[in-house]
Formats: sequence, structure tokens, C-alpha cells
Amino acid sequence: MSKIHVSTTLNGDAAEFLCDPSASLLDALRDELGLTGSKEGCGSGDCGACTVVLDGEMVCSCLVFAAEAEGGTIQTIEGVAESAVLHPVQQKFLEHGALQCGFCTPGFIVAAKALLDRNPDPTETEVRYWLAGNLCRCTGYDKIVRAVMDAAAELRQDRPSERTPA
Amino acid sequence: MPPFDKEFFATDRLDLAPHNLFDLVDRLDGLAPGFAAIAQPRVHFAVDGVLEADWSRDLATASEVIVLPRVGGG
Amino acid sequence: MNAPETMKQFRPKEFRHVGTRPVRPDGVDKVTGRALYGPDFKAPGMLWGAIVRSPHPHARIVSIDTKKAESLPGVKAVATGKDFPTLQSLVMHVGEGASDIVHVARNCLALDKVLYEGHAVAAVAATTPEIAREAAGLIAVEYEELPFVLGLEEALAEGAPLLHDDVFTKGVDPKPDKPSNASMRVEMGGGDVEGALAGAAVTVTGRYTMEPVHQGYIEPHACVASWGGDGQAQIWCSSQGHFAVRSLTASVLALPQADIRVMPLEIGGGFGGKTTIYLEPVAMILSKKSGRPVRLAMTREEVFRATGPAPGAVIDVRIGADADGTLVAADVEFKYHSGAYPAVDAGAGVASAIGHYKIANTRVVGTEVLCNRPAAKAYRAPGAPQVNFAVESAVDELAGKLGIDPLELRLKNAAVEGDPQTSGVPWGRIGWVECLEAAKAHPHWSAPLGPNQGRGLAGGYWGNYGGPSTVVVSLTEDGTFTVTTGSPDIGGSRAAMAIMAAETLGVPYEQVRCVIADTSSIGFSMVTGGSRTTFATGKAVVEAAREVKQVLCSRAAKMWNVAEDAVEWQDGEMVCTAGEKEGTRITVAQIAPRVAFMSGPVSCVAGINAAGWLPGFGLHICDTEVDTETGHVKIVRYTAIQDVGTAIHPDYVEGQIQGGAVQGIGWALNETYIYGENGKLDNPGFLDYRMPVASDLPMIDAVVVEVPNPDHPYGVKGVGEVPIVPPLAAVANAIHAATGKRLNSLPMSPDRVYAALHPEG
Repeated sequence: MSKIHVSTTLNGDAAEFLCDPSASLLDALRDELGLTGSKEGCGSGDCGACTVVLDGEMVCSCLVFAAEAEGGTIQTIEGVAESAVLHPVQQKFLEHGALQCGFCTPGFIVAAKALLDRNPDPTETEVRYWLAGNLCRCTGYDKIVRAVMDAAAELRQDRPSERTPA
Repeated sequence: MPPFDKEFFATDRLDLAPHNLFDLVDRLDGLAPGFAAIAQPRVHFAVDGVLEADWSRDLATASEVIVLPRVGGG
Repeated sequence: MNAPETMKQFRPKEFRHVGTRPVRPDGVDKVTGRALYGPDFKAPGMLWGAIVRSPHPHARIVSIDTKKAESLPGVKAVATGKDFPTLQSLVMHVGEGASDIVHVARNCLALDKVLYEGHAVAAVAATTPEIAREAAGLIAVEYEELPFVLGLEEALAEGAPLLHDDVFTKGVDPKPDKPSNASMRVEMGGGDVEGALAGAAVTVTGRYTMEPVHQGYIEPHACVASWGGDGQAQIWCSSQGHFAVRSLTASVLALPQADIRVMPLEIGGGFGGKTTIYLEPVAMILSKKSGRPVRLAMTREEVFRATGPAPGAVIDVRIGADADGTLVAADVEFKYHSGAYPAVDAGAGVASAIGHYKIANTRVVGTEVLCNRPAAKAYRAPGAPQVNFAVESAVDELAGKLGIDPLELRLKNAAVEGDPQTSGVPWGRIGWVECLEAAKAHPHWSAPLGPNQGRGLAGGYWGNYGGPSTVVVSLTEDGTFTVTTGSPDIGGSRAAMAIMAAETLGVPYEQVRCVIADTSSIGFSMVTGGSRTTFATGKAVVEAAREVKQVLCSRAAKMWNVAEDAVEWQDGEMVCTAGEKEGTRITVAQIAPRVAFMSGPVSCVAGINAAGWLPGFGLHICDTEVDTETGHVKIVRYTAIQDVGTAIHPDYVEGQIQGGAVQGIGWALNETYIYGENGKLDNPGFLDYRMPVASDLPMIDAVVVEVPNPDHPYGVKGVGEVPIVPPLAAVANAIHAATGKRLNSLPMSPDRVYAALHPEG
């Protein structure tokens, strides 16, 4: 079976890879492009650990064929921190202790950033429903929800905070 | 000392004067061969009411040892 | 809301770092996707493996034909159970309990029989994952199907299909002469239970049931093994204990432990389920045969079908009380699934059943039952939540019958320091009453409820653990410190270790960095399990840090030509306190570059067998709102109160409490293994095995009570397991309060709640 050549924009840079027709975008990211930040918890779109943004839409990359990304723009956890500085969502996860094992964390951070990109002032309920596609087994979600709410507040104030270098 | 009383000794009380817990295990193994082989993976000892991790501790002043199933946890 | 401050009233002294909330040292890597977990590691030239699993719940393996698979281009190795060396029975304790190494090996690859659907029977390694999967499909296994048994009482019935012909019930006298599916029976207690129950003013009787549940870690099991031609091997994997991976793998393959080096990758959750091995010896065999590194990784479906779970249970409870509420007798008898191989939760279940109450007459009996399900594995306070669900439901029912407030009834009967546990061993400095008092004082307990809402509470405990740990604290050339442990960090323990080292050394937190070394780079440490790491490994950190201080003080004394006892350690500085050099100081940063010009580098190792661990107690308050039209139960408010000894890093202590409570809520309301009539698991995925998501839950108010452990330098008791114990009954009691209906079977899913509310159908 011959491989498919795919050209994309990945975290702002041009990226090309070869993939099997059956390969998922997650497989391509992890195995062809070496970006293992996106995790596979289920392979069936139920856990959200592989969440990425493809052409502006939040998707489970395990449910997207790698070949579908042709010509597309992909943002992964590796591209969330900008200019070598953590994004407020990442910073607040650290400050609130919103991760324990950290395996689900990349998916939560990509999803939370996607939420705040379109809704800068979400209610707690809105945060909880937006993140309902991401499973965390360690935290009980309490500190995750608090971190996202706090990141939203910081982004609204647009205050220059002391962020940790990525 | 359940379940070891029924599994090995047919009694739940024994009068022994071991000098430490290694010695106790040897003596219990003498009474019920096979006990020593499972003691490390399956047994905890409480000496006078306190769980004892050091089997070499001198038991000269101890009055009672309770034999318990070892619980590790998840 | 969370309690704004930890409750410090029981804490005898103030600390500089202990109790603060700094950013964890591994944090940035984990929020940026850089951290490498089990499935993330790749070795050059690596092959990809796949496992062939049994489609039958119980069958004899007649033959395995691997020829077609072997001839597929790209296939480099095939393995079956026959590739393991012949093993003698050997019981080992590796973290979660005792296991026979023969059973561990057979669970990795079956030999003569398969004992559950999903049991591994063969494996392949190939140049791509696609070829490996295709090759796995070409392996032809001929089975002779056998009758199977899934249920606890069915497995114990006369004539039930027998899983093992060499398992005789342990813990019964006389020794049985026939093999049985009951692998062990544990009985404890004392007094005259029947007499006291007969004389009790009020008694309650109930039977409580549940099916197995899974630990539900999001990271599937994965490893890479590379076995060199000289017999030495490297394994990269995530686990709760890489030393356990080493000893189990070495035992299964009959190798010297020093020939295997296990590199700990970051672990994506374990909850007890990653204290054993499934893939490592198989990857080793494939690597040996192919001469290349081999990766084996499970899919989510494989995780559900072949790992974990926690046992399901049938529990019978009778409890009696005097009219004033004094508990006079308790009779608890439970049966737990052990699955395909003998497991060990019964002993812990017996110890965790009723010890939180003073009861003069008790009988607690636990039986482990073999059946054609995956081999049960430890799950957070293994064996405790099941029996606690029954006991705390029954105590709640008793409070109702007596007309006594359920919190007051618990306070009246609560065990305190010096009271005997069920085993007869007295409790040490426990904080159970302090938790009950904190509940009474908490605004949640007296807050008004809305329509269709009810409030329940339940208390529980877990014994915690200590045991062996090795730690090295080293001074770097610039005066900063490294702390090296052998304890995998599953929820922020590197931060706790750095805090304890910084506290002991009197230096800033950022000047201490903690890493986890591989099995060849540090001495033995027991698994991260049993809520032992911050207690036991923490104790070793403090011991090694104290030795570093001592060594540096003696170096300074020598340098200044003064007596050793004339130098004191003060906040990261050595100070001369007597003689003509009195008042002379040198900082760690100043002495660090000089130590190489003295007797040598300063690096202190503490290898300890940590004793003096103490159990943890918790009390949970739950408000539910029940939709009487659908049977759906919503958790509207939840407070989890727990004595932790001392919270080293309160964020991660609260996080453990919140996470454990939510796992318990999932167990109570949704989670369950569902098997079909054919003995096959019907819900091996996160869609149908429904774990709680963010929108199912309110904030979880974690209230940290601190009754310090006198046997730990900073008072630590252990945190992680206790919080999964009380939720099952707390939710059930809240549903009862909301509806008047008591649900005795888990999960309390909408269909069951609806059926209880509408018995007419």
C-alpha cells in the first residue's frame, strides 16, 4: 500500500509527512512528526487526550484521518506556549495544581484555550460542559475548572503577568 | 492471627520466646513447615500493638506478637 | 468552595516550606507536552508488537500455529507462553500484595488454558504496527472451550467450573482436600456476636452487591524492551514501581535482576493498577528473538479486557445497637472477585470493614473467589470501598431506626487512639474524631436543601503503609541540591520531596531539584502505592538531607580547624558557634566548590525501611438531587474531610482527596463491568464504561485536617487511598435521604434508581 503525502501548517510552520491511508492524524503527529504531546487514551474519541485544533475547530485527532489534514492548519499542545512563554491556561494549571499525573493535561489545555479563544468570560457551567469531552481520572476536575476560570479572568484583564518561560 | 491460624497452626495463640522476628518465623516454620516461605510476602507482625518493620529488632522485652495479613495498598 | 486555609489547629509547629504550594518541578514539561509517558518512548530500530488474545472466557489451548504469521514480510518474532522458562511456584510481595510468580507469568501469556476473555496467548513483533496487527490475525489458536463462571456465588457452588486444579482454599482448618474457586478465607473478630445481636435493641440486616470496576487510568499500558546479546536488557515503561517491574520480569524470565535496567517514564495514572506487569516479559522475549528493541502497547479495549479491575462483591451485614445508639455487635461477611488468579483484597477488606467503630462483638469474614474474569488488581485502598459501602449504608439505616442523627451516631461510637482494631492491634494517633468534629462544624452539614435533594454522609479509613525506600541527596558544585529517588511520581510527589528537603536544609525550594532514577542508578524502593511515598520516601529524603548537613558541618569544622560540635547548620549556612572562630559563617554556595578539595564530593544515601506509618480517616458529606422522572442522580454539593497528618503540598493533597472522591462517585453512580451471557465484556471502552466528566460534578470541597504523625519528621500520614473509601455509601445515603429508597446494588444508575422509585414498573 503506497503512502500518502500530506502538507500542513503545524504550529505555525510548514510540515510534511507520509502516512498510510488508514493512519489517524494522532498517529501522524506522534509517529511521523515526533510530537508526542497529544496522547492516545482511547482511540475512539471518548477521552479527549488527543485534542488538537484543526482549521480552527477543536477535534479529537484520533478521529481524523491524517490525510484529511492536507492543506490544513494544525495547532497542538506543543504550539500553545508562544514566544517561549507559557499561555495563561498553562500557567494557571501550574499555579492551581490542576494536574496530577499530567497525561490528560495537554488535551485539557488545548480544549480550554479553544474555549477562551471564543468565549472570554465563561461561567463555571460553561467550562464544565466545554471540557466534558476530556477525561481526567486524577483530579476530580475541581482544580482544572478553577485554573480555566482564573486563566479567563487573567486574559480579560490582559494584565502582563509573570509567566514561566516554557 | 487469621488467616494463618487456620492455614498453618490450627490455633490462634502460641507461647514462644523468640529473640527476634526472624527467629519467630523460623520457630513457626518448625511448627508448620512452609510458613517461612510465605512470611515475607504475606505477613505483617505487630509487636506489643505496634506494626514492626524491622525483623531483626530484639524481642527480649516484648510480651506479645500479633501475626497479620500483609496489606500493601494501591 | 475549598477551605481557604488548611486546618492548622492540630499542628504543633510552623514550617517555612511544608504547607506551601510551589509549582511542581515537572510542571512545565507536563503543560507543554514535553513529558514522556509510557507510550511516548521510541528506541532506534524499534519493532512494533501486537498481542493475540483469547475470545473465550475459559478454554484449553489445543494448539497455536504461528507459521503464517512468521512468514509475513516484516514479521521479526513471534512469542507464546512456551517461550517462558519453566517456573517453580514462588510467592512474591510486590507492592499491592502477594502473587505467585507462575500466575504472573501465565497472565502475561497463557500456557495451557485461557481463563478470561482477553487473556494473552501469543505476541508478534514487526517492522510496522500495521504488519504486527495483520500478523496477530494470522496466528491460528485452536481452543477447546470449557464451561465458565463469572458470578461469586455461582463460582462457589457445588459443581462450578474450576479455574485451577492446584488452588486449595487458604485460611480454613482442616486443610481442604479438594481444589476450590475460593482461594482464601480470612476471618477476624471476637466476642459473642450472635448473643449480642439477639440482645440488641435495634438491628439492621442487609445484602450489598456490585460488579468489578476499573481503575480507569487514561494512559494505557506500554513498554519498550531491548534485550542485548550479552544477556543484559533495558526496559522503558511507566509503572508505579520500576523496581517491581524489574523483579517480576526477572523472576518470570529467570534472569538476574542486575541484568535488567528499568527506566521509569512518566506515568499517566495507575491507582494501584500499575503495580504489576503485563507486557514487559513478552516484549523481552520478542526482543531477544528479533535482536531489536520491541514496543508493546495496549489499546483501551485491551486495558479493559485484560488489566485491573477491582473486585466486585457480595456483602452481608448485620449490625446491632442499644437504644442509646451504642453499637454492640457487627457481623460482616463478604465475597470478592479475584478473577483469574488468587488475589489479596480480602485481608485488606477485613481490616477495613468496621475498625472505625468501637464494637465489643465482631465477626468479619472475607473470601476471595476465582472466576473467569481478568485477574483483580489493586485499586486505591484495595478491598476497602466495597465493604465500607455495606457497613456505612447499614450504620446509616441504623441511625434512622434509632432516630439518632447519623453524624452523632458515628461520633458516639468512633474509635480513638488505643482502641483495638478488628485484628486486636490498637489504633495509633488517628484523626477520625477530628474529622467528625470538622464535619459537624462545616457549613455544608447545616445548609438548607432544595426539593428532591438529600444529604448523606459516610466515613472510612485506610491503613496506609511505609516500607523500603532509597534516596540520595547530593550537593552540586554550585551549592544547589539534587534529590534522587526510586519512587515514581504519580501526582506531584517530586514537589513534596523537594519541599521536605528544602525544609530540612533550610534552603529555597528552587535550589532543590528532585528526579527519579532508573533501577541501576539507585537502590531499591518499593512501589508508589499504599499511600506510602510522601511518608516513606519522604522520611528517607529527610534522613539523607540531615546527613548532608552533618557532613558539611564537619567539613567546615575541619576547614576552620575547630571542633565538629562548634559548627551548626543555620538556614543553609554553616556557622561557628564557639571558640576563636565564633561567628564565622560559610554558605552552601561558598563551600560547594571547595568540597572537591577536601575529602571528596558530598552525596548522602538513605536506605530505610520506613516504620511508624499511620492510617488515614475521612468523612464525606454528599448532597444529591434525584430526578424522579428519569432516575438520574445529580451530585449538587460534596465535601470531603480527611486527616492527612501534615499536608506537605496542600494543592496535591486536596487534589488526591478530590480525585479519590470523584472516582468513588463514579463507582457509586455509573461505573461497572457488564458481561454478556457469553462471558464476554460488553463495555470495554470509555463510551460505555462511563467515568465522571466535568459536567457531572460540582466543586469538591476538600477539607484537610492535620493530626500529625509523631513518627514522621513533618507529621505525614499518607493521603491518596482514603478518599475513595467513603463516597459509595455517602452517595447511597444521600439518595436515601432524597427519596426514602435504599439502593444496595452498585452502580446506582438511572435505571436502578427509577426502578426503586417506581416499583410498579
